[in-house]
Amino acid sequence: MHSFIDNTLLSRLGALPIESRVPMLGNVAGKHRSPHRGSSVEFAEYRKYVPGDDTRRLDWKAFARSDRFYIKEFEADTNLRAYFVVDASGSMKFAGKGEAKIQYARRIAASLAYLLVNQGDAAGLSICTDKLHLEVPPSRRAAHLERFFSTLGKLEPAGETGLLGALHTIAEKIGQRAFVVILSDLFTDPAALGDALQHLRYRKHDISLFHLMDPQEIGFEFERPHRFVDLEDGTALVVEPNLIADEYKTALRDFLTAVRAKCHDASADYQLVTTDTPLEPLLREFLTARLPKSKR
Amino acid sequence: MLFLSPLFLWFLAAAAVPIAIHLINRRRHKTIQWAAMQFLLKAARQSRGKKKLRHILILTCRALGVAALALAAARPIVSGLIGWGGGSIDTVVLLLDRSASMEIKPGDGLESRRQIVIKKVRDAMADLGATRLVLIDSASNKPQEVPSPEILPDLAAAAGTDTAADFPALLTRAAEFLTETSGRSEVWLASDLQASNWHPDDERWAATRAGLASLPQKPAFRVLSLTGATAPDSSVRLLATRRSGDELLIDLEVLRSGEARGTTSIPLTTHLNGTRTTETLTVPGQSLRFQKRVALPSASDTGHGWLTIPADGNARNNAAFFAYGPAHPVKTLVVSAPGESADYLALAAAPPGFGNLSTQRVEAGQAATAITADLAAILWAAPLPTGATAETVQRFLTSGGQVLFLAPGSASDTPFIDLKWSDPTEPPAGKFFILKDWNHSDGPLRDGIEGTPVAANRLKAIRRQIPLGDASPLGRWEDGEPAITRRIIDHGTAWFLGSIPDYTWSNLGDADVLLPAVQRIIAAGTERFDASYLAIAGSAAAGILPGETRSRLDDQGTPDPANAEYEAGVFRLGERLLAVNRPPQEDTPEILSREALDTVLDGTNYTLLDQAGQANDPALSRDVWRAFLVAVLFFFISEGLLCLPKSPSSKS
Repeated sequence: MHSFIDNTLLSRLGALPIESRVPMLGNVAGKHRSPHRGSSVEFAEYRKYVPGDDTRRLDWKAFARSDRFYIKEFEADTNLRAYFVVDASGSMKFAGKGEAKIQYARRIAASLAYLLVNQGDAAGLSICTDKLHLEVPPSRRAAHLERFFSTLGKLEPAGETGLLGALHTIAEKIGQRAFVVILSDLFTDPAALGDALQHLRYRKHDISLFHLMDPQEIGFEFERPHRFVDLEDGTALVVEPNLIADEYKTALRDFLTAVRAKCHDASADYQLVTTDTPLEPLLREFLTARLPKSKR
Repeated sequence: MLFLSPLFLWFLAAAAVPIAIHLINRRRHKTIQWAAMQFLLKAARQSRGKKKLRHILILTCRALGVAALALAAARPIVSGLIGWGGGSIDTVVLLLDRSASMEIKPGDGLESRRQIVIKKVRDAMADLGATRLVLIDSASNKPQEVPSPEILPDLAAAAGTDTAADFPALLTRAAEFLTETSGRSEVWLASDLQASNWHPDDERWAATRAGLASLPQKPAFRVLSLTGATAPDSSVRLLATRRSGDELLIDLEVLRSGEARGTTSIPLTTHLNGTRTTETLTVPGQSLRFQKRVALPSASDTGHGWLTIPADGNARNNAAFFAYGPAHPVKTLVVSAPGESADYLALAAAPPGFGNLSTQRVEAGQAATAITADLAAILWAAPLPTGATAETVQRFLTSGGQVLFLAPGSASDTPFIDLKWSDPTEPPAGKFFILKDWNHSDGPLRDGIEGTPVAANRLKAIRRQIPLGDASPLGRWEDGEPAITRRIIDHGTAWFLGSIPDYTWSNLGDADVLLPAVQRIIAAGTERFDASYLAIAGSAAAGILPGETRSRLDDQGTPDPANAEYEAGVFRLGERLLAVNRPPQEDTPEILSREALDTVLDGTNYTLLDQAGQANDPALSRDVWRAFLVAVLFFFISEGLLCLPKSPSSKS
């Protein structure tokens, strides 16, 4: 059993479906809307009969009322393919006052993947650093989850981030619409991040972004001089935190504002999450917010 | 600045503690693996300017606060008088100018400059704590230990006098004293910088400076300059007195302070043998010279008196004292061959109608026997004396006699007192030798006491002889050759006039020049007979001889018996009667210039504390530890304010 899987949490969240915000293009029937007309029970629209249409789909009652042939169309339901893009750069190793960001990312990814597979959708994993881009293709099978969890468990953050490259790769590689869940601290250029998100958006993917931050990274509260060593490239800097706290917070605030704006521009679902946040309310809120208003 | 508890200065090192803590803290940093490095780098870049300055200010405030606390604990005394020093002063040598001019009051006070500076010194010494104070006053010129600065204003040795000060002698005495003194010393010179007291051109300064430079431990020199505005002041000064029969001729000068303008009236009161008369003098401008004739009681052999003007800025210069002895016949010896010249000289020496003037005419050969000690002057119109006669004349000169040598008509064979006559010369035909330049303030041709000049420019000569040798010319002919010269021999004076009152020589006999010149020479010769009745305060002549006692006869002012020998007044010294006056130079307002002070005190690195004698000036020194405590508060409050976090509104 993996440490990042909380059965109690999963059982509590099991009743909540994971909905896609955009119609999905799946291979098999499922619970999610499709852009194509199908055979679900949900009425979509009438259209005029054209020769070649299946006569079984003619609406005879409409013909009786109007003396014209109409085809009654229904929504098509399909399954959802989710890609969890986990940033495995060295910065994700940071564990200040909360747990390590990578561990928090594992818990989110594992929980959501479990819920997806459990409702018949496919979940895939993409792990990225500047030197590594590891992928677990999406699959609906329950046995696939073990591979998913195992890959997550073996994940060892190191090096600089390769998130942007991974996002572009995913955007290019996935042919059909998918649910892309990004788990990262996003320590990269917001403009480049915006470009990558736009790329995904262009491919009509449903994007959710969990921006993981440690409370210490946000609060920046230190009493004495510290030697800060970069987790990604090893750069060291000795500073007196009291002296630069204001500038640090200002820079962080500007960064978060820029990231939030880029996500908004790309219609991505942005969640700034500190690693001391309890997971259950976070995921419950996340899942509830994705439900259609009629189901909330 | 001086510190009374210099040991606390070691705590100044504590000022480095905040900086050391800061540096140690920087070295004792904690290493942390950090992810959000991009913000850290950006923040570090942005905080290099203002934040770093703020941090430096905080550190500076902490260091200065600690330093100010240490300085306050060291009890600093700040003053222009006391210089910078890390330790206490062991000895202060106070050279106090007690001259009469020091008794003038500054424009803003009721006490004299001397009293003000003494109190300031007393307060400064109290601040210094256990520093030894040694007083060398200008009157006695003797070092005197002052057991407590509190008694300084009451010390007789610091009281006012009518003497002059002699600063080369004072500093020499200080150097002698310091040679025998160990420890850190300071020399404080309290003076009004009156030039006549400092003698800037005196050759003794070189020796004084050498003495100070050779001291094993160099003292610091502080000059307490007591200059500046003064209260209005007038002075009366006795220039000369001479008894003429039943009259006393008193030459007086009334001076007003430099700021005085216009004409003023000053009442002059004469006290004579118990009687008092007052007259009003009209003083045009700043000075008035005049001769006062005082009728003496009949059959009065000796007597005394004094003249006073009302009290003003300086109470020490409002009286002039005189005493006189029995009438003395004024005898003059004319040494000349019979003739016109001898007649004119005898007439000039004893004009008709002046019963106390007499003259005796002899030829050069009988001069040696005719010269006696009771002669006032000798008019010598003959070849210069030689041999025994020369020795007799020289003795006469040495004892204070006056001799006027006139042109003998032939060149000298042998010099007398290294002086001799040239050959007689005559001007070009139709021309005269005319006296052109002469000294109007000195010598027998000087202007009258009221300023009336002698008509010496009327003197024309058709023959002349030039006095040759080392003598001071007091008058010159048009061509620049000396007409009249002077050579001082001890107490007497030899005068040389290059013509004679003979129509074949010049118009000297017309009395425009001859009469005043001869009478002035005779008057100078008679002064030595009255000199025993006059003395200058502080001089040897004013001192008592063995076996004598001093009693004061006048009731002018408030005499101080302890300083009687340094005060002006009329005294009876044993059997002698003596009028003592302040030195005439005390009435001269000339102040030593800064350049001259630099010159005389060259090599001492002295500090000049200007205006120390002004009443409303602050004290010479101040205990300023409270100021440092305020500084401590200021620095720590500033540090606290700088450390305060920004307000939430400014953050947003």
